[in-house]
Amino acid sequence: MKILVAVKQVASLDEDFEIRGDGKDVDADFLVRDLNEWDDYSLEEAMKIKEAGSGVEVVAVCVGPADADEALRKCLAKGADRAIRVWDEAVAGSDAIAIARLIAAVARREQPQLLFAGVQSSDHAFASTGVAVAAFLDWPHAAVVTQLVYAPGGESAVLRRELEGGVLHEMQIDTPAVITIQLGINTPRYASLRSIKQAAAKPIEVLTPQQLGVAEAELGEAGSASRVRRMYVPEKSRAQMIEGTVEEQAARLAQLIRERRGGAS
Amino acid sequence: MSDPNATRVLFEDFAPAAVALFYAIAAAAVAVFGYGVYVQVRKYRRGAAATLEGGLGARFVAMVGTVLSHRTIARRDRPAGAAHRLIFYGFALLFLGTSTITLDYDILGPLFHVHFWRGAFYLWFSLVLDVAGVALAVGLGYMMYRRGWLKLPKLDYTRPDRKPGDPDYDRSEYRREDWAFLWTLLVIAVTGYLLEAVRLVWLAARPEVWDTRWWSPVGAALAQAMQTGGMSATAGGEWRLGLWWFHGILALLFIALIPFTKVKHIFTAAGSLLARDPLAAQRLPRVPEQQQRVGVQYITDFTWKQLLALDACTKCGRCHEACPARAVGAPLSPRDVILSLREFANRTLDSGALPAQAELDVHGKGVGQVAMETLWSCRTCMACVEVCPVAIEHVPIIVQLRRKLVEEGEMDPQLKKTLQTIHKTGNSFGESKRKRAAWTKALPFPVKDARKQPVDVLWFVGDYASFDPRNQKVSQALALLLHRAGVDFGILYEGESNAGNDVRRVGEEGLYEVLAAANIGSLATASFKSIMTTDPHSYNTIRNEYPDFGGRYTIEHYTTQLLRLLQEGRLGIARPLGLRVTFHDPCHLGRFNKGYDAPREILRLIGCDLIEMGRCRANSFCCGAGGGRIWMPDPPGVDRPAHNRMREAAQIPGLQVFVVSCPKDLTMFEDALKGSGNEGAFVVRELIELVREALGQEQGAPVPQALA
Repeated sequence: MKILVAVKQVASLDEDFEIRGDGKDVDADFLVRDLNEWDDYSLEEAMKIKEAGSGVEVVAVCVGPADADEALRKCLAKGADRAIRVWDEAVAGSDAIAIARLIAAVARREQPQLLFAGVQSSDHAFASTGVAVAAFLDWPHAAVVTQLVYAPGGESAVLRRELEGGVLHEMQIDTPAVITIQLGINTPRYASLRSIKQAAAKPIEVLTPQQLGVAEAELGEAGSASRVRRMYVPEKSRAQMIEGTVEEQAARLAQLIRERRGGAS
Repeated sequence: MSDPNATRVLFEDFAPAAVALFYAIAAAAVAVFGYGVYVQVRKYRRGAAATLEGGLGARFVAMVGTVLSHRTIARRDRPAGAAHRLIFYGFALLFLGTSTITLDYDILGPLFHVHFWRGAFYLWFSLVLDVAGVALAVGLGYMMYRRGWLKLPKLDYTRPDRKPGDPDYDRSEYRREDWAFLWTLLVIAVTGYLLEAVRLVWLAARPEVWDTRWWSPVGAALAQAMQTGGMSATAGGEWRLGLWWFHGILALLFIALIPFTKVKHIFTAAGSLLARDPLAAQRLPRVPEQQQRVGVQYITDFTWKQLLALDACTKCGRCHEACPARAVGAPLSPRDVILSLREFANRTLDSGALPAQAELDVHGKGVGQVAMETLWSCRTCMACVEVCPVAIEHVPIIVQLRRKLVEEGEMDPQLKKTLQTIHKTGNSFGESKRKRAAWTKALPFPVKDARKQPVDVLWFVGDYASFDPRNQKVSQALALLLHRAGVDFGILYEGESNAGNDVRRVGEEGLYEVLAAANIGSLATASFKSIMTTDPHSYNTIRNEYPDFGGRYTIEHYTTQLLRLLQEGRLGIARPLGLRVTFHDPCHLGRFNKGYDAPREILRLIGCDLIEMGRCRANSFCCGAGGGRIWMPDPPGVDRPAHNRMREAAQIPGLQVFVVSCPKDLTMFEDALKGSGNEGAFVVRELIELVREALGQEQGAPVPQALA
């Protein structure tokens, strides 16, 4: 049996970053890339099932350009059996729904029993790719899962979700299913640099949308239901520390309030 | 004076069958000895291959020098050194004496009819051996006194890494073995004298024996007393027969048991010293490119040299005493790591066939295994390696075991995070690479980018001195000093990464390789004459370990650079400080690289009155940050090495400044000053800050007037 783990190479901001010329993203020079934190947990959850039984194959899949191989190598270093990257120039500019279309296509090809995704990505935080994949596949899904019990090859899984107000939601879900994994569900293992280097020798299968039977029209900005208009840093609101004795502070505060109200002092 | 016929009777009055029996017993003893040696050698050969440093000749000369001088045994324990010297020379002479008899009686005599063991030679021989016996007995007596009366804590073998009741907690068998060893040797020596005495009484009628008796003064005095006590020649003869057999068989038993008991240290300690690597802790072993597994998981992953070294341990307890982790109650004693592994090796590798591989795993909490808590307690401060009299190299053993733990991810979560951070950003602070040189912005002059302009001195600043706000002030002060002295220097800006010294000592060899390659790559793009570091940790790895990765440089720590500038007058002292200070030797500057004198000389030049702590120079006490411990939280509620050190410093009457010369020391000890309740008693300062103050310049962080 097989578990497909969808992962993303996310970006975090370096110091003093700049916005790209077209105003729609941060200049790539100022981005530090890494495997999405949530995906660390979903891969670990897959590895736990793999190690508990036998004959379980863990396949990591990522939609992204060549530099996303680094995220997949980390998965291979931690013990994933195979890695698949989907890319083509046409994919650029795709939103979460379009990306989900590609992952769903990979799932149809791979036929996994379970498909894991992180609850969200730390950079764009749409929190929708995983559930969108379930919609495309017409599979059941459970989101924000904090505990999972599944015997390899089983026809259903039992899982727990944390709801607002400290209530736990325990459910049983039939497989194949899509599950989005929440932080803290397990303790992700450490990928030593040596294992990452060794993983560099393992092949990463690169597929194009074409090979997956996804038309160009369903990808990129054209194939997306949403588009980025602009990205910017909001102007900082002004704040000032009022210093001095309590009386002085009170007097200054009263003065400021009068100024803002625009009334005569 | 000498009777040419003087010699000693050997088998006189023995029936041929008795002589044959003796030779049979002797042959059996030698056979058992030989078998024991075979078993031990087979055990060592089950280890991995080892490459030894330096030529055999040089190592042999060094080993013989160490053994003959007893230099390492006398260090920090002079009485033990003196007593061991008496035992060693006494035993060696007595052994040589016995061999001389064999040479004369069993080899040269029967083969060539040559006998030299008579006359003047014999008499001098007698005298020398009598004195040697006294030396041996006195030495043994002191060792018994140490164990029985002084009751030194390091000799009670209490383990910090096991709890009472654990199957391998009890070490009383070691104590029994110690006593058995001492008593056996003593009884052999004493019965030797008694045998000599009764032989004199028995043969008192023979002038060549009796007239030369004072050449065996101890035996002669005893014989005199026996005669006075009324022993007849006949009785002497009977006693002689009994004592002869007793003494002979005990001595042969002793020889037979050498490979099976602690007595084997005669050979294993010499072997360990012969295989000694003078940079064992300073330059850790590389992982061969093709090697599948990393570090040590199974006992057979240790090299034969390491397995031999395990057997060299005599449990003298010096490492146990010196270890900073042990001193604060952490579950680590270097001695017990060695003894555990030795017991493990003996249990698994002594028999004819190797057990299943699973039984060779040395990691865990089982009998003879080493727990991860023990391994993570180590600061790799090298105190154990430095003090070990028989050249056991604990640090590489512990790091090799850690490499396995790192590969499995068996480590503190915070350490895991730090390693990932270092991988991602190149520094342990998780700061952007671009911010590495942010501290230079406060300077009134630009600092050269050595990648763009040639410089004389390339300053490798290091993570703490670059990113830690307190240490940034020190870096700024050092930059001002260099600038004022007209030193042409520059830094690597974002081209510098964490030097990797501590990453390597954590056991993350893959990350270390990445960091070393990155720095060597950056250095290759710069043009400079020599490197200077702020951090002794960077200094150590660039100096001793980068050459293994192709990076060979002229390098010094800032202390020698500053000393030169002061001595050459390029920095003039305007205001001698007149402070009462003590100096803490950083492990990586002092013990690791012998940089003891430059900081002390600087302190003298800037007019400080240096009062040494008890533990200084080679015996300096680690701040607790080494080996990656700075990235691991200390358990709450227990003592810390830095607090222990602060208490030691606080004992110096009138101490004003505790001087450090390592960024991590500054961080550790400023924290510990508060934590140990000594705040206000004295202050912690970087040497650089004191130099700057002595130059009469604006003071970065002056010593409070109340103290100055």
